[in-house]
Amino acid sequence: MGRLATFFRQRLPLDPARLRELTNEPVPHHLKHWWFCLGGTPAYLFVVMIVTGILLAFGYEATPTRAWESVRAITEQAAFGWFLRSLHRWAATLMVAAVVLHQMRVFFTGAYRRPRELNWLIGMGLLICTLMAGFTGYSLVYEQLSYWGATVAANLSDGIPWIGGLLRTFLLGGDGYNERTLSRFFVLHGAVLPVTMVALIALHVTLIRLHGIAEMRFRRDEGSAPRFFDFFPDHLLTELLIGLVLMIVLCVLASVFPVPMGPRADPLSTPEVIKPEWFFYVAFRWLKLWSERAALLSLGAIVALMAAWPFVDGWIRRRRPGSEASVFVGIVAVVAIVGLTVWEAVVAH
Amino acid sequence: MSLEAKKVVIAALGLLFLASLVLVQKLEIDRRAVEAKLAPEPVVVPATSRQCVDCHGQSTPGLVDHWKGSTHAHKGVGCVECHQAEAGDADGFDHYGAHIAAIVTPMDCGRCHPDEAKEFGASHHAKAGNILASLDNLLAEVVEGSRVPMNPHSPTPGRPDMTGVNGLASVEVGCKQCHGSKVAMQAKDGRAITVDELKPDKHGKPTNTALLAEIERRDGKPLMDPGTWPNTGIGRMNLDGSLGSCSACHSRHDFSARRARQPENCGKCHLGPDHPQKEIYEESKHGVAYRDQKDDMNLDSKEWVLGDDYSQAPTCATCHMSGNLRNGGNVTHDPGERISWTNRPPVSLAMDTDKGHAVIKDSDPAKRAALLADGGDSWQAKRQRMTDVCMHCHTQDYVASFYTQYDDLVVLFNEKFAKPGQAIIAALRAQGLLTPQEFDEEIEWTWYYLWHHEGRRARHGASMMAPDYTHWHGMYEVADRFYVHFVPEARELADHAEAEGKKPQADAVRKVIDEILARPEHEWSRRKP
Repeated sequence: MGRLATFFRQRLPLDPARLRELTNEPVPHHLKHWWFCLGGTPAYLFVVMIVTGILLAFGYEATPTRAWESVRAITEQAAFGWFLRSLHRWAATLMVAAVVLHQMRVFFTGAYRRPRELNWLIGMGLLICTLMAGFTGYSLVYEQLSYWGATVAANLSDGIPWIGGLLRTFLLGGDGYNERTLSRFFVLHGAVLPVTMVALIALHVTLIRLHGIAEMRFRRDEGSAPRFFDFFPDHLLTELLIGLVLMIVLCVLASVFPVPMGPRADPLSTPEVIKPEWFFYVAFRWLKLWSERAALLSLGAIVALMAAWPFVDGWIRRRRPGSEASVFVGIVAVVAIVGLTVWEAVVAH
Repeated sequence: MSLEAKKVVIAALGLLFLASLVLVQKLEIDRRAVEAKLAPEPVVVPATSRQCVDCHGQSTPGLVDHWKGSTHAHKGVGCVECHQAEAGDADGFDHYGAHIAAIVTPMDCGRCHPDEAKEFGASHHAKAGNILASLDNLLAEVVEGSRVPMNPHSPTPGRPDMTGVNGLASVEVGCKQCHGSKVAMQAKDGRAITVDELKPDKHGKPTNTALLAEIERRDGKPLMDPGTWPNTGIGRMNLDGSLGSCSACHSRHDFSARRARQPENCGKCHLGPDHPQKEIYEESKHGVAYRDQKDDMNLDSKEWVLGDDYSQAPTCATCHMSGNLRNGGNVTHDPGERISWTNRPPVSLAMDTDKGHAVIKDSDPAKRAALLADGGDSWQAKRQRMTDVCMHCHTQDYVASFYTQYDDLVVLFNEKFAKPGQAIIAALRAQGLLTPQEFDEEIEWTWYYLWHHEGRRARHGASMMAPDYTHWHGMYEVADRFYVHFVPEARELADHAEAEGKKPQADAVRKVIDEILARPEHEWSRRKP
C-alpha cells in the first residue's frame, strides 16, 4: 500500500496537505441537520441521469421513423432497459422537485442576498436548463403526447415578440416539426444542456466555496460564536447517506411504477387532450387563463423577476431595512405554483 | 422573522409542494397506464344513469360490465342517453322514473352519430330485411317451415306445453337474425303491430296513435312479438321507421369498434355454402397474414387508418369500410361504396347504382348514363375506391391485373353457365314445362344450387383471392351441376313433355339447350368416342 501511495505521489505532484485544505471547507453548524443538506440532491440526481442517459443513448435512434421503436426496444427488449429508462425518468422528476425545493430553501432563508446574487442567477440558469432538458427528453420518446406537446410548445414560442419565429425555427430545425427536429432535440438533450449544466454546477460550487456557505443562525445560536465542522468526513457522510436513501427511493419508484410506452406519435391525429410534462403544468395552465400574447409576456416577466429578485429584494431592504417582503412573495408564489399545477393535473382540458 | 419561523414556513410549503407532487405523479401514472392500455379508462356514470348502473350491476352484471368497457362509458354516455323514449313511442315504458325503450335503433344512435347513421341508412346492409319476395324467404317460410297454421301431430314427451308449431321458426331464427326482422309489438287481440301500421313520421313518432292503446302490456311494459325480438339483424325494420341495427356489427353494450374491424364479426352472416366470404378470406393470403399479425394491427386505435395505424393485413372492414391514407382516412358505413360487381343475382351485374343506391338493371346505355348522372354512382368510381385501398400494398399494375382476373372469372361464369341456365329455365317456364311454384321440381333446386351456392362461391372466391373456393368449391361444382344434373334434367323434362303429347313445347326447350351446347365452349361435351 505504501509503495502504491509512493508511486502515485511521485507521478501526481500534489501536496496532500494543500489538497485537504482546498477540499475540506468549514461547514456551518446548521448543516448538521439533514434537511439543510438537500442542495447536493439535484447534483446527485444529475449524475444518475448522466449515467443512465449515456446507457439509454446506446439504443436510441433520433429519427421520426425509428425513435419510438428504439425506445420501445430499449423498454421491452434490452436487458434492464425498462429499469434504466424508468430510473432516468424518475430521476428527472425528482431532480426538478429537488431543484425547486432547494431554491425554496435558498429563497426563504435569504441565502441569495449580497454577495451571493450571482450564484442565485447561476441557480436560475440551472433551473431553466433542467426544465429544458425535461422538455427535450420528453420529446425524444416520440409518443403521441410528447410529439404534440413539442408541437404546441414550438407554436407557442412563435408568439414571443421579436425572437419567437427565430426560436421556433431553432427548436424545430424548420418551420414545422420535421425529420431534423428529433436530432436537434437529441443534441440539445444529450450534449448542449448537460455540458452547460456541468459548467454551471462547477461555477455554482466554486462560488459557494469562495463565499462559503451562508450561515443560518437560529435564535438559540444568537450571541454565540459561529460554529463550523469539517466537510470531510462529517458532511460527506451525511451527503452519502442522503444519496443512498435517494437511490433506494429511485429504485423503488422505477420498479413499482415503471414508465410505460404511450402510443406512437401520429402527426395526422391530434389527441383530444394534450398535456406537457408535469413540471410545465403551471405554465400550461397559466397560458389557458390569458390570451396567448399576455400569458407569454407575463410568464417572461415572472421568470425575469425571479432571476432579478436578489437585486429587487436588496432595493426593498435598502429602503425598508429588515423587510421580509420576500417571504410573503415566496408564499404567494409557491401556493400559486402548487395550485396551478394541481389544477392542470386534475382537469382534462 | 426568525430563522425558526422561516423553518416552519419552508417545512409547510415544502410539504405542500411534495404532497402536490405525489398527487400529480399519481394522476400522471394513472393517465399513462390508461394511455399504454395497462389500465382501463375511468368510467363516467352520468347522474341520469346512476340508478340503472347500480341496479343492473346486480341483476345483469355482465351487461353493465360490457358497458363499462365501452368508449361510451369513458365519455359519460350512460344507459338513458341511448334507451330514452318519448311519450307516445310504441315501445316506450316507464322504468324506475325514466321513460325508456328496450330497442335502440339507428335513429337513436344517429342522435350522436348522424354521419354514420346516414351512410348506413343508404347501404345495402340497411335494406337486408326486405327479403319478403326472395327465393331464400320462400325456402325458409314455406319449404322449410309453414305459412299455414300447423299443429303437432303427436305429443312431445315431457313438454305438454308444446301445443302448437311455429311454422316460421326457421325464418325467425335463421334468415332474420342476419337479415333483420320487422320488429312487432303484441296486440291485445294477439296480432302483431309493426311499423307498417304505426306509420311513424320522420322523427320516428307513430302517426297512427290509436294503435298504441291496442298494445298488450304486462306490468306497464309493452310486450314485443318474440318472433321479431330479440333480433340484431343488420336490416331490421324498426318501429320508428329506421332500418338496421348498429349492434349487428358493434355489439351491445360495449359498442366495440375493435370488434367491428375483425373478420369474425362479419362472419356471423357472411359464411356458409351460399356466400362463404369469411372462409374465402381465411383461405386468402390476406386472411393468413391477419391471423399471423393480428396482435400488431392496432385494432384498438381510434381512427384505424390503413397505412398509418397498421399495414400488416386487411380485414373485411379495411377494404369495404375503414379509412386509409389515400382517401384521407374517410370511413364509410356503406360497404357497397367500394364493390364493383354484385355477385348476388344469378348473373353478376356491374355495380352502377342510382341515387337511391339501387343497382341499375337497365341494359340501355343511355338510360344507365342518365341514372348515373342523376346522383348515381358508377362501378368505375367504386372500383377506384377499392383500388385506393389495394394500392397501400400493391402497385397499380398489380391491382389492375387482379381486377382483370376477377372480371374474367365473373364474365366466364355469366356467359358459360349463368345466362345459359337462365335461358333454359326461362324456356321451360315459357313452354309450361315447369309449374309456377318454385322448388317443386328437381331442376329448380339444381339451378338454385348452381347459381346461389356454387356460382357465388366461384365469384366470391375470385373477388377475394381464394383459389380453392374459385375452383373446387366453385367452378368445378358449377360445371358438374350444369353438365351432369341441370342439362340432363332439362332434357328429361322435355322428354316427359313429349311423352305427354307436348312435342312442340319439348322441341322448343331442346332447341334452346342445343343452341347453347352448340357453342364452342360446350363443344367438348358433344364429342363422341
